[in-house]
Amino acid sequence: MAASRWVRMGAAAGVVTIFLALVGLIGGFTDVYLIGDQITFAGLMLVLPAFAAGLVAAAPRVEGGERHEMRFVEAITAAAVAGAAAGAVFGATMILADVIGVERIRTVFLNVSPQLMEFVTFGQATLVGAVIIVVMSTVAGVLGGALRVAPTSVRRPVTVAVMATLLFGFLQRVIPIALDQLKLERDWLYSVSFDGLTWIGAIVVGAVAAGVSVLKGRFGTQLRGRVAGIRGRTGPAVSPGVLVAGVFALALLIAAPMLLGSVISEVLGTVMVFALLGIGLNIVVGYAGLLDLGYVFFFALGAYSLALLTGATLNAYGIPPDPAISGHLNFYVAIPIVMLIAAAAGVLVGAPVLRLRGDYLALVTLGLGEMVTVLVGSPWLVPLVGGPSGMRGITDAAIGGLAFRDPQRFYYLALAFVGLAAFISWRLATSRIGRAWTAMREDEQTADAMGISTTRFKLLAFSIGGAIGSLGGALFAVKIGSLTPASFQVLVSIQVLGLVILGGMGSIPGVLVGALVLVGLPGLLREFEEYRFLAYGAAVVAVMVLRPQGLVPNVRRSRELQDEERAQDEWAKAAEEGETPPEIATATGATT
Amino acid sequence: MAGTEAPRVEAVRLSRFEQLPWRRIILVILGIIVVGVVGIGATRTLTLGKAEGGYSAGAWRDFVVQGAAQGAIFAMIALGYSLVYGILRMINFAHGEVFMAGSFGSFFFADAYEKSGFLDRDPILALLIVTAVAIGVSVGTAVLLERLAYRPLRNAPRLVPLITAIGASLFLQNTFRGFFGPQPYGYPKPVVLAGNITVLGVPVQRIQLLVLVVAVICMAVLQWFVSTTTTGRSMRAVAQDREIASLMGINVDRVIVTTFAIGGVLAGIAGVLYSLTFEQVQFTMGFKPGIAAFTAAVLGGIGSIGGAALGGFVIGLLQAVGPPLILTGFGIPSVFSLKDAFVFLVLVLVLVFRPGGLLGTGEAEKV
Amino acid sequence: MKHRRWFKAFAVSAVMSVVAAACASDNGGGGGGGGGGGGVDCATVEFGCVEVGADEAINLGAAQVISGADATLGQDQVNALELALDHLDGKFDQKDGTLLDHPVKLTVEDELCSAEGGQTAGTALAADASIVAVVGTSCSSAALGVADKLLGDKGILLISGSNTSPALTDPALHNPFYARTAHNDRIQGAIVAEFALGQDLLAKTAATIADESPYTQGLVGAFEANFEAGGGTLTGSEQVDSEDTDFKPVLRSLAEQKPDVLYFPIFVAACTLIIKQAAEIMPDTTLIVSDGCLSSDTLKNAGKAADGVWASSPDLSAFQTNEFYSGQFIPAYKAAFGSDPLSVFHAHSYDAANVVFDAIKKVAIDNGDGSLSIPRQALRDAVFATSGYQGVTGTITCLPTGDCATDVTIGMFLGPGWPVEGGKGDTTAKYTDTKSLDDVL
Repeated sequence: MAASRWVRMGAAAGVVTIFLALVGLIGGFTDVYLIGDQITFAGLMLVLPAFAAGLVAAAPRVEGGERHEMRFVEAITAAAVAGAAAGAVFGATMILADVIGVERIRTVFLNVSPQLMEFVTFGQATLVGAVIIVVMSTVAGVLGGALRVAPTSVRRPVTVAVMATLLFGFLQRVIPIALDQLKLERDWLYSVSFDGLTWIGAIVVGAVAAGVSVLKGRFGTQLRGRVAGIRGRTGPAVSPGVLVAGVFALALLIAAPMLLGSVISEVLGTVMVFALLGIGLNIVVGYAGLLDLGYVFFFALGAYSLALLTGATLNAYGIPPDPAISGHLNFYVAIPIVMLIAAAAGVLVGAPVLRLRGDYLALVTLGLGEMVTVLVGSPWLVPLVGGPSGMRGITDAAIGGLAFRDPQRFYYLALAFVGLAAFISWRLATSRIGRAWTAMREDEQTADAMGISTTRFKLLAFSIGGAIGSLGGALFAVKIGSLTPASFQVLVSIQVLGLVILGGMGSIPGVLVGALVLVGLPGLLREFEEYRFLAYGAAVVAVMVLRPQGLVPNVRRSRELQDEERAQDEWAKAAEEGETPPEIATATGATT
Repeated sequence: MAGTEAPRVEAVRLSRFEQLPWRRIILVILGIIVVGVVGIGATRTLTLGKAEGGYSAGAWRDFVVQGAAQGAIFAMIALGYSLVYGILRMINFAHGEVFMAGSFGSFFFADAYEKSGFLDRDPILALLIVTAVAIGVSVGTAVLLERLAYRPLRNAPRLVPLITAIGASLFLQNTFRGFFGPQPYGYPKPVVLAGNITVLGVPVQRIQLLVLVVAVICMAVLQWFVSTTTTGRSMRAVAQDREIASLMGINVDRVIVTTFAIGGVLAGIAGVLYSLTFEQVQFTMGFKPGIAAFTAAVLGGIGSIGGAALGGFVIGLLQAVGPPLILTGFGIPSVFSLKDAFVFLVLVLVLVFRPGGLLGTGEAEKV
Repeated sequence: MKHRRWFKAFAVSAVMSVVAAACASDNGGGGGGGGGGGGVDCATVEFGCVEVGADEAINLGAAQVISGADATLGQDQVNALELALDHLDGKFDQKDGTLLDHPVKLTVEDELCSAEGGQTAGTALAADASIVAVVGTSCSSAALGVADKLLGDKGILLISGSNTSPALTDPALHNPFYARTAHNDRIQGAIVAEFALGQDLLAKTAATIADESPYTQGLVGAFEANFEAGGGTLTGSEQVDSEDTDFKPVLRSLAEQKPDVLYFPIFVAACTLIIKQAAEIMPDTTLIVSDGCLSSDTLKNAGKAADGVWASSPDLSAFQTNEFYSGQFIPAYKAAFGSDPLSVFHAHSYDAANVVFDAIKKVAIDNGDGSLSIPRQALRDAVFATSGYQGVTGTITCLPTGDCATDVTIGMFLGPGWPVEGGKGDTTAKYTDTKSLDDVL
């Protein structure tokens, strides 16, 4: 029965809300105001699952190979039921918690506190609070359902508006700094007393975002055609819309530090370092299809070799400050040497292991990463790299008198290297080597049979990727000026892998987007630091299950990852909605 | 057809250089180096006098026992990895967290029983209940994982479920951190398990003996299960060829869930044993044993029960015996700080010489 | 053809980037202008002055770890700073006082107990031209070569209440704008060594276990140097990973040489496990830990095994008898924050803030219109000239290398009588000694 489906969805959403409460995402943020003094992050967390339940309940179903769109009334009912169910589940749990006793539960689940109960009951008696929650969840569900069945021309702008408003709300520590830097008035936008957006500000942001979305919808097709005509045929297939966005993003990237001040530039500098790492790993994982879980190996190798080559000193107290091997080269002379060392290490280490099967390779590379972590912190190598206290005094990459450690200057240095790496990567992708990698990735046995020496090409990918990774490490060392083994944990490998995947394997703009989301956002949203990896893990799982081609997909990879049917579905949907599907535009070379 | 001749393929003359069996040569050289290093290191260590840092026979005996006890736990966790890999050809990276979940879940019961005295009054019953709870939580976690994260990706390319597993692992770790906090909790140990017991003249901790016995029993039961029962045979069938097994009427989904569940049972038991040994639980406790167990499964030959068991004990012993035996001889300071690196180095070398693992076929499988 | 176009675009962007970098202006740093008397010309003096307008607050920065597993360490110190603001008017009444007729405000940045966190916090604070000085960091790794450099390059004084790593004030590594009121671990390590050699233990041999953090590396190094200089023999020195759980092989290996003492100044999780495992493997060896392990969690989780384990820590009783501390400060802390102080270092941060306030009083230039100019270099010099200042933690006299905790009293506590919640029996120090840096290696 359809209704039971809706109830189940709602119940699942209710469980998610309970989860959010137990983990502390509600109780800890009751004073983080997003809009005005009414909408808090905690409140958002409370109703978001119900909203999502409504969204999903009203979605068109595929039954017997056919799509059934929901009629409006049916959809709203479904959404309402789902929302109510979510609220009921949570409300019932609240009452149960009250009965058992909050203090008793707190001995197990630390976040179930009186303050939390106070918040979710809105200061009322528990039963009253539960009823309020049911009502709120139903409303949230209905909103979700309404959004789902709204025509695209309404749904898109509304979604964009809401997301933009929320984004501005989240970045309440960051955007005001940028506005101050640009000497723009900010008090109308951000409330002085509550730190969040003012209602006026929220409405303005939402309206502007919705407007942009509407404009893009109207004129997007025409623009796409024009750009398609200019672009030509070669290179990885990238939809014209994305290209325009890319050019715009590039301009923004170059102008950002001057607009946003040194605090944000510092975060962006880290984003660039990780983007560089991502470009390197993208070659290994995205182009050549090798499961590399130990990329921190090259990161650490690059950082420490640069430190040693440019005369850094050891931090450990009680031993002579000069490392056992030390050079005093200029940064720009040392960089090619660092990359060469990394490439050589890549060949040396890769030769025995790259012939292993994918999963075995994953484990072995993981082990390599762990080995490096252990070695740089070990007592054995203290005379070389300083052990736990690390090294300091790393060069600031000065050219003439121009030093690059200042956050804004460093950003440009990093950006230049990212550009260089992206260029190399792009040229590789479109070359014979790139085509060999694609062949290898799609069907290794056949590629081997066709005469492509898979071992040789794997080694090439591994060492080139490694060289770029070492470049990232060197830049990291310059940025911080100091190195400790604590910065070189296995978690780095996982983070870089995550941003490559999130952005889209094989896609360079994707890597940048991934870095911005997975490194930039947490850097800017410091108050959520504790939940960073929780969100990270959830995001990775969600992306892989729902959209494995990533946010800015490489079209070829999407085809590999999805069934043909799914691609055709997208084509059909796009045709339905009156937009020229990208594939068709390419094939026919359509221009306006 | 007329007119088409067989294409003429010219015989390619390889130069002397290219004719040499390079791979074989390098392997032999590598083998000689390895044997040399191990031999020299071991000899020098064993000939060190007491004053220079040499070890007595008692120390070696203790290292072996400690390594075996650790290894038993690794073996039990490794079985979970192997089982899932055998069926799905996928590494369940989050299995370490399944282990941690069971342990953590059982903590609250164990703690309550200790406070009320039940744990010491009737340790067997108390421990059985605690283990049941651990098994329940572990199995629940494993089944949830399978349902939500892995089932949708059954037919995806290899990379995708692996990465999902990593994400799931991070998610589970931090969920427990969010629920219960970052600090370690002391896990109680019943008095009856404290202290040593002498077995064949060797002093062993009681808990270590329990771990070894339980591990061996579990593995024997598992082996019997897989080879004799219907479910076990279905599991083997699905492992061999999923499509045909399904055509033969086996409910593949059910078999897969069962496999995850069995892995969860073993992880839950391992979790209780581990917590009793170290008397501590923390949200990070699954990470390192998870990697060690994964390493063990691969080392022994992933997909095989015997391989996982062997791999577990080998890894345990390598961690405890390897660094003192080989590295001390070279005068390296603080040999135990390098134990993880040492284990991985051994793994790489084993895989270079036997790409399928110790109990694998010795050939690199291409598929 | 195509490629040339792309290459041109790339080259142009690259050149633009470099030009942009060259033109990018620095943010923060000393302001210019203003300043009448005082003999300091703010426009020309190095690092300039901080200008505090007539109705503006004096901005005191704080770089502490306030999130994650170590949050209590940083939060505790932030609390103490807030109490320092309160006490500006001479009493603890939960109303902030004023300094030179200006209110004082606190700007807190999270340093995440890591080098990256130290950089982020340091950058944020260095970029703020109104910050007069910074109390921090919590963890030595955030300061070493990172925060101390970022702030020092702008002439902003960084004074820490909990950094104990010797490397921070080593003459070769010291940043001139860095100081600390916390003790230097060279002293703690030396006193532990002295205790081990002394008549309570009469140890001739010792072994050490460190972990992968710079904090333990410093303590263990100091202990080893002083133990050997005092005639002892070091039989083994191992390093473990703090996330590990099985330390039995390491302990068994160290047990071979039968050391009299095992010193392992590591953190709670690993420390508890070693205490329990060592009880079985080396029952005749005396175990010594340091303040990283000194926590109620350790006592709870280690249980009986903690009996007889020595712990070193700054001896609070020295200032617990201080009437001000026990009679006013602690009650005020409880009233404001609902609990007893969470760690030892809060008192050091409180002293650090007051040292800075005193220095500000000495060097601030009154511009006559209600505004102040505080020259950075002079502020730093005034702090470093502090001598004989009676703080809550004892006498504060700053050395040129930045150590201001002159005579450090370290106490040795015998488990289960540790000075933490859950400590049983006599929780006073069984052995104390006071040393200054000249007395130790």
